[in-house]
Amino acid sequence: MKILPLLLYAVSAVAYAIHFARRDPAAGRAATASLLVAALAHTFVIGMQTMEVRHIPFASLPTAVSTFVWLLTLSYLYLEISTEERAMGVFILPIAIGLQTISALTPGSDKIDPVLESPWFWIHVASLLCAYASFALASVLGLTYILQFKEIKKKHLGYLYNRLPSLLTLDTMNSRAMTIGWVFLTVGVAVGVVWTAQARAVSPDDPNLRAMSLDDPKIFFAVLTWAVYSFGLFARTRLGWAGRRAAWLATVGFLIVLLNFLPIGYFVTTSHTFQ
Amino acid sequence: MHVFLLGVSHQTAPIDVREQLDFSSRDVGAAVEALAARYSAGEAVVLSTCNRSEIYVASDDPARARQELVDFLGSYHGLPPQAFEGHVFAHTDEDATRHLFRVAAGLDSLVVGEPQILGQVKDAFQVAATRQCVGPVLTRLFHTSFGVGKRVRSETALGEGAISVGFAAVALARKIFGRLDGRGVLVVGAGEISTITAQHLRAQGVGDIAITSRTAAHADALAAEVNGRAIPWSDLRLALAAADIVITATGSPRPILTRADIEAVTDRRRGEQLFIIDIAVPRDVEASVGEMEQVFLYNVDDLQAIVQENLSRRSSEIVRAESIVSEEVDRFAAWRRSRGAVPTVVALRQRFEQIRRAELQRLEHKLGGLSPEARASVDEVTRLIVEKLLLAPTSQLKALPDEDTQIAYTEAVNRLFELRDESAVPPARDEVDAGPPNRTRSS
Repeated sequence: MKILPLLLYAVSAVAYAIHFARRDPAAGRAATASLLVAALAHTFVIGMQTMEVRHIPFASLPTAVSTFVWLLTLSYLYLEISTEERAMGVFILPIAIGLQTISALTPGSDKIDPVLESPWFWIHVASLLCAYASFALASVLGLTYILQFKEIKKKHLGYLYNRLPSLLTLDTMNSRAMTIGWVFLTVGVAVGVVWTAQARAVSPDDPNLRAMSLDDPKIFFAVLTWAVYSFGLFARTRLGWAGRRAAWLATVGFLIVLLNFLPIGYFVTTSHTFQ
Repeated sequence: MHVFLLGVSHQTAPIDVREQLDFSSRDVGAAVEALAARYSAGEAVVLSTCNRSEIYVASDDPARARQELVDFLGSYHGLPPQAFEGHVFAHTDEDATRHLFRVAAGLDSLVVGEPQILGQVKDAFQVAATRQCVGPVLTRLFHTSFGVGKRVRSETALGEGAISVGFAAVALARKIFGRLDGRGVLVVGAGEISTITAQHLRAQGVGDIAITSRTAAHADALAAEVNGRAIPWSDLRLALAAADIVITATGSPRPILTRADIEAVTDRRRGEQLFIIDIAVPRDVEASVGEMEQVFLYNVDDLQAIVQENLSRRSSEIVRAESIVSEEVDRFAAWRRSRGAVPTVVALRQRFEQIRRAELQRLEHKLGGLSPEARASVDEVTRLIVEKLLLAPTSQLKALPDEDTQIAYTEAVNRLFELRDESAVPPARDEVDAGPPNRTRSS
C-alpha cells in the first residue's frame, strides 16, 4: 500500500520530464492528470492510516515524511493550477520521490506517546510540515531562478530559457512561498515552545521534554531555519534583496530544513524521539 | 477530381515577375469568381502575397487546367504568356497538396517558420468561400492546410525564437519581466532599430516610453511615432531611475551610460532589474555595467547572435515539420481517392433502391391489405436489408489504396450491376458531400 503513491509519483515524474523536454501541451495535461491521480492515491493511503491509528499519521518520522510529500504535492498542484505553469513539476517530483522512498523504506509505527496527546502537538507538527512544503517549493523556484538568471546574464540562452517562466514570475512565486512558509514556521515553533512548557508541568521526568533546549541539534537548526527565513523576508523588504540573493537564501534555507528533517531527525536529536 | 496548382513564388520568379502577376493589389475576389466560372467543379482559390501568387483549382483535366490558367494569368494581368511562363510552377494532386501544406506550415517562406503566412492562406480561402467559389475538394484541402500549420507550430519549434534584433530584445524583456504591461521604457537616441524595438515594446503594452536625444527634434518625432514622450537630454539620469528597459542608440564616440551612472540610481530603483539594450556602435554603455547584479546588458552583437542561433534551431526543426506535412498529404490523398468512388457508390445505391421500390410496387396488390403500420414495417425492413447489403461494398470502395485499383474495382462494379448509365450521371452535390465534413458551398 505504501509503495503505490511512490510508483504513481514515478510515473508522473516521467510525464513531467517528457513535457519539459518536448513542450507538448498534451504531455503536460497528461502529467498534471497523473500527478492528480498520485495525489489522490496518497490521500487514500494517508486516510487509511488515519483510520488505523485514529490520528493524522505524522507522529513518527517516516509517516511525517510521507505526509510532508503529500502536502508538497498538493501545494505544487495548487501553484501549477493557479499559475498554469508546469515547468516546476520536473524539479519538484524528484524531491517528492526521494523523500517518499525514504519513507517507504523506513519502518516506523505511528503509535503515539501519551505525552503527545495534545492539540498543541498536532498544530505544531502540521504547521511545520506546511512550512517545509512551502520552503521546498521556494527552493525549487529559487534554484530555477538562479539557473535562468545565469543563462540570461551570460548570454547563453540555452535549454532552460525556452522552458521556464520569466525571472520576475519565479521571484514573485518564491517570495510568496517563503512568506507563507515563514508564517507556518513561526506558528509551528511558537506552538512547540508553549506546548513544551505545558507538557513539562504535566510530565516533568519525560526524557524528551527534558532535552528540549537550544543544545538539541533539532531545536537549534529549527531556530536557525527561522532566523534564515526571517532574514530573507527582512532583506527583501528592507534591503532590496530580491532576485538572485533571495533565490540563494531559499535554496540554502531548504537545505538546512532537509538536514534538520532527515539526518538530524533520524539520528541525532534526543528531544524529538517519542516512541 | 484533381487538385491543380499553378503559380510563381520567390523560389521560382524574380520580384519584377512576381509584381506583374500580383493579385493582392487588385480585386482578388473578382479574379477568383472569373476563375471558378471556367471549371465544371467551380472551385478556385487565389493565394497572393508579396512572395507568391498561386492559383488552386479543382479540375477533371489537369493538362487542360494548366493551359487555361496560363491563359488566364496572361489575360488578367495583360501579359503575353512568354513573359512569365518560364517562371511558373505547376503541381497536381499530391504534389499540389504538399506544396500548400508546406506553404501553410511556413516551410516555403523566405524566413522559414514565419507565422503570417498561415493567416494569409486563411484569408485567401475566405475570399473564395464568401463568393461560393469553393466546393468539397478545396474546402477540405484548405481546412486541412490550416490544421497542418497549427500542428507544425505546436509540435515543432519551427516558428520559435525571435529572428530579428527587435523581437529578440522584446523576447528577452519578457523573459526577465514576464508581462510588460506598465513597464517603463527609456529610449536614448533615435535610430531605426531603436524605433522598431520601441514599437514592438509598445505593442506589448509597456507603460511610459520616455525618449531623449541630443537632437530634440529626433526625440519628438520618435515620441509621436510610438506614443511616447520626449524628455530633455539633461533629464537622462532622472529617467534612468524610473526605467525598467533602456534602449541606447546614439552616435556618441564615448559611452553615455557608465557604471557610476547606474550605481547612482541603484538605491532609488530598490533592487529592481534593469534591462539595457545597447544598439549603438561604438557602444553607448560601459561594458562593466553588465557585471552589476541587477543589470542585464545586451549589445547589438549579442542580439544578433541570438537571432542566428534561433535561425539555425529553426532549420533543425524542418525535418520534423516535413514529416507532419507528409503524414497529412497521405491522409488527404486517401480522402481524395475515396471521393473517386463516390459516383459508383451513388449509382449502386440508386440501383438497389430502384429494385427495392420496383419489387414493392410489383407486390402492391398483396401488400394493399396490410394495415398502415404493417406496411411501414415492410418498407422499413426492405430498406434496412438494402442498407446492410451496401454497407461493406461502400466502405471497401472508398478505402481502395490507389487509383488503378479503384478504376478496376469501379469498372467491375459498374459491369456487375450494369451501372454505366447511372454512374455517368454526375451525382447531386448533397450525395457527393455525404463523406467529407465540409460543405462550404452552403456556408
